[in-house]
Amino acid sequence: MEKILRSKEMAEIVLLPVRHHSPACSFHVRKMIEEYHPSVILIEGPENANELIPVMVHRDTQPPFAIYYSYYDKAGQLSEEKEHYKCYYPFLDYSPELVALKTAGELGIPAAFMDLSYGDILAASKQGAGLRKKEEKNNYNDDYLLSRNAYVKKLCEKANLRSFDEFWEKYFEIDGLSKDSHAWFLDLLLYCRQARESTPEEVLQDEGSLAREAHMADMILQAAAGNFPKTTAGSGTLSVTKRQTQSSDKGNTSSLPLRILAVTGGFHTPALSALLQESSPENALSRTSLSEDTSFQVSSPAAPSTPGRKKSAKKVNSREQNVYLMPYSMEAADALNGYASGMPYPAFYQKVWGKSSEIPDDCYRQTVLDLLVSCGKEVRRKEGNLSTYDEICAVQMADGLSALRGKSQPGAYELFDAVLSSYVKGEYTIATNTPMLILRKHMTGNAVGKLCSQAHVPPIVQDFEAQCRRFSLKTGSTLETEVTLSLFSSEKHRKESCFFHRMLFLKTFYARRVKGPNLQQQKDRNLIREIWRYKWNTQVNAALIDVSVYGATIEEAAGSLVKEELKKEIGAGACAILLTKVFEMGLKEHLQNVYDRAQELIRQDTDFYSLADALSHFKMMRELSSLYQSKLNFDLLMELTIRKLISLLPSMAAVKDEDLGRCMDAVKLLYQLTKGEIREEFFEILIRMQKDAQIHAGLDGCIHGILYGGGWEDSALVEQAALGYVQGTKEQMKKTALFFRGLFFSARDLIFIGGQILNMLDAFLQQTETDAFMELLPELRMAFTYFTPREIDKIAEKAAALHGRSGRDITKLKEIPPDWYAYGKELDTYIGQRISHVTV
Amino acid sequence: MRESIKPPVEIRYQKELAALEAADTARKPQNWRLSPQAVRTFILGSQKPVTYQGESISIRKKYFGNDALVERCIITLAGNRGLMLVGEPGTAKTMLSELLSASISGVSTNTIQGTAGTTEDMIKYSWNYALLLAKGPSRESLVPAPLYVGMERGILTRFEEITRTPAEIQDSLISVLSDKVLNIPELGDDGFLFAKPGFNVIGTANTRDKGVNEMSSALKRRFNFETVMPVREVALEKQIILNEVGELARENGIDMTPDEEAAKLLASTYHELREGVSAYGHRIDKPGAVMSTAEAVSVYYQTMISGYYYGDSSIDMDCLVQNLVGAVSKENKDDLGKVKEYFSTVIKDKSSKEGGLWKKYYEARKWLK
Repeated sequence: MEKILRSKEMAEIVLLPVRHHSPACSFHVRKMIEEYHPSVILIEGPENANELIPVMVHRDTQPPFAIYYSYYDKAGQLSEEKEHYKCYYPFLDYSPELVALKTAGELGIPAAFMDLSYGDILAASKQGAGLRKKEEKNNYNDDYLLSRNAYVKKLCEKANLRSFDEFWEKYFEIDGLSKDSHAWFLDLLLYCRQARESTPEEVLQDEGSLAREAHMADMILQAAAGNFPKTTAGSGTLSVTKRQTQSSDKGNTSSLPLRILAVTGGFHTPALSALLQESSPENALSRTSLSEDTSFQVSSPAAPSTPGRKKSAKKVNSREQNVYLMPYSMEAADALNGYASGMPYPAFYQKVWGKSSEIPDDCYRQTVLDLLVSCGKEVRRKEGNLSTYDEICAVQMADGLSALRGKSQPGAYELFDAVLSSYVKGEYTIATNTPMLILRKHMTGNAVGKLCSQAHVPPIVQDFEAQCRRFSLKTGSTLETEVTLSLFSSEKHRKESCFFHRMLFLKTFYARRVKGPNLQQQKDRNLIREIWRYKWNTQVNAALIDVSVYGATIEEAAGSLVKEELKKEIGAGACAILLTKVFEMGLKEHLQNVYDRAQELIRQDTDFYSLADALSHFKMMRELSSLYQSKLNFDLLMELTIRKLISLLPSMAAVKDEDLGRCMDAVKLLYQLTKGEIREEFFEILIRMQKDAQIHAGLDGCIHGILYGGGWEDSALVEQAALGYVQGTKEQMKKTALFFRGLFFSARDLIFIGGQILNMLDAFLQQTETDAFMELLPELRMAFTYFTPREIDKIAEKAAALHGRSGRDITKLKEIPPDWYAYGKELDTYIGQRISHVTV
Repeated sequence: MRESIKPPVEIRYQKELAALEAADTARKPQNWRLSPQAVRTFILGSQKPVTYQGESISIRKKYFGNDALVERCIITLAGNRGLMLVGEPGTAKTMLSELLSASISGVSTNTIQGTAGTTEDMIKYSWNYALLLAKGPSRESLVPAPLYVGMERGILTRFEEITRTPAEIQDSLISVLSDKVLNIPELGDDGFLFAKPGFNVIGTANTRDKGVNEMSSALKRRFNFETVMPVREVALEKQIILNEVGELARENGIDMTPDEEAAKLLASTYHELREGVSAYGHRIDKPGAVMSTAEAVSVYYQTMISGYYYGDSSIDMDCLVQNLVGAVSKENKDDLGKVKEYFSTVIKDKSSKEGGLWKKYYEARKWLK
């Protein structure tokens, strides 16, 4: 280290490459900081998170937590869609960046983030690349470029290792802990250089890496010139010891050259190194021995700007950027869950990290042992067939494999292999893989982080708390509480209901409705009370922070999300359901937007059922509009939908069996809602449909019923149509039951008029053979479900009269004595025997 | 002239084993011929050739598939438990167990062939009755069976198709595997055979017709199980076919190089019929017959022999399809219908899109009857 301090006028820069979520990396970062004692530490991370550093290093803050970045492209600088963007920067206990911040805090060294702010990174990235990828969760420190390239693939093949993660664990983690820090970083740098060279320049450009690196190089040079960012890790609530104060003072005195330590993802280090070298054409930067090409000396205070840097063309509006800390979970931080970065199996490496400072030479072995035991215990509890000897064999397997694979201690992959060979009994299938699932769970862990009380509370969470106070809802307890709301008699209750609905819409898992009118499914509309159960926990706050990009209050966020929904390609039915939700959430100012969009979608939508759904929802909302105090003109929407439905109706004649119910519902709804000219048109179309030879028998029946109800057909015509089926050819006759089902759906009173229909049914049943009858029975049953019990009784009475009986006779049927059955059985056996005798 | 149709692994790879042994500097478990590292190299191959007696000997990869599984097998055999390889037929379980035995103990022939008729004396020991009558029970009149041999010499005993033997016979292994001692009551006080270091058992079991479920849990506990999966990559399967067929051709003096394109075609047919989905995404009815790589090798080899002796030393598609029919229509006559369907959808599509050999292959569908 001494070698670097060559002259008093020069500032020194040391670049440390890191891999996110790597215990060995953290171990060496801490050692390097303690050894080198820099004057300032710069860390890769969007600079607009600097204010969060004191909370991040606070002793009451427990990882995992994440920095949540959000940006709303209000002015449309990034794209015309004016989208909301968000990303996460997760930290685990052993994240090198956090360890660097904490160590800086302990030693009183100023530390700050140095990357472009989130919005600027977005501006520098191409649409669909880097942080602008359309993913559920974007991750700030996605270091996939380090782990996915052709070079890595070859390397793994050569080293007989199955993946980059295993490669990394073998060479950098297990062996890394016992290595000298300088040598370790040199190895890492060598690797990063190769990975960087295997990545095409366009990818770097598209992902915004080049712009970020230029900015970081600038920040480093700024720091070298003495311009530190104001926020320091040391300025938090940590107590500063005498030694630390001294060293801190020492670091900032002007008599000594500035020493700048820059901690960045390994992938950027080679590029930063190159940029810093280029920045000083007169060779003001000179290399020193720390790590051949990542430590520099630069003339101070001159801070030349990095050459060739394209200043980010777009500088986004910083007011639309937000940054908060939020508690995170191990599951979310596990790389294998799809969206995270860095190393997988956080709980495993957390244990390793915990033991690394005490027993660096044995921490992996001890962790493997711990997990074999804890996993064994659970397997025993669940499966009950695991012995201690199995565990001994597993430990032997892990040790043996590590020796065979040339690893000084067994790691995560040996642990997997040990459990697979010693805990799984028999063939490996989904029936026997429980031990592997348990192990996987143990390696991921389920810990959830916690923030200290000084953590800045985002406005949306403040709004949530204010609302809870207003409605006297408990937030301190995590017990589920029930509350009953009188929706229409109390204004306060109505508002509280809106609040719950908004929380539901924001997917915060705070409250759930257990009872009350369900407008989406059009159920229980008669209810005038809602019963809600709510439960608060830290995850509710995390979920709120997650949606904070959409607004500073719950109402605003819900409103913005409604707008987002409207941008999607949805059907008219889905839009109508959204309208009901907006209704329930009481977002009055958004009703019009959804209404307008619904109008648009009705014109575009060609799905008959989606439109029918929309129509029934509009009808319901029109009925409820006075209750929910809405002034929307539903008549217009309904008229539009009806016209569209009528125009689509002719194509529905040959409806599929499974859609018959929905189709009949739609036709009936149209019958109820049409009037005037449209009604005439509707009936004309129905008549036209009847003439279609392909018409579904059920729909045919339904249409006849409706035409009869509308006075366009008399009962004789209906009877004639029914007779057509009854006397039809075999296949047509089988459709009789379907026809009656349709007919009774729309005009069940026909059976009581005249009696012709009943006679016809009776005749039909008499002519039907048992087998055919059994086949028709389900449809016949469906047909009679439309009648009330009283009506069924009446029908039964009439049917009985046709055969000279009264309805009561049925109940008077004589019981068949058991000996008749016994006799029948005996007879059957006897005949059976006789027949077999004859044939023999 | 060859002396046997299929020489044992230790003879076939004599040179490789000798070279590895000579160059082996790593620690060896007692009585092992090679160190675990060298066993791994022998089975999974090495890019660096080994120099032996002035000759550079390259170590070819012999087992394709899961490398970690091979490593686990080696470590299991160095430990206290037996190794049980389970899996579908034709997934190279037997080959792997031969390779392991040959490289660890130098001999792969100390084998029990499990059948429904296997008895305890075929596993442990029996007697030479003439000597027994003449001299009474003594070591001289005892005829050792593979388990006895393995224990006495400190070598591996292979137990093929272990699940085909009756459960009570299987269970006779329990005490031997846990106590490593075989009791021979006939020999009185001398009747204890303590296993020498290096002894262990490799069992193989087929999951298709008689699974491992019937195996007693006491015996299961004495084994580490490794499930050998079929090869999941077409490219790898093609490579295996080419390697195996090449080897067979060499051994049998057939001077013909395997055709890569035909191997690819066969590999993808077997792969798609096994997985039930084609490379283009067609859903395929899976035949009930075993569609293993080993079967594909035999279909290819038969076609090659026909071409060599009766044809023009090329792979004839008609002949290939005929052999394919023979291979699939073994158990269930519906299987042939499924293969026919496969030809009339997937192969038809491929022949129109890719042409060439695929077209000829499609035209050969007339033999599917």
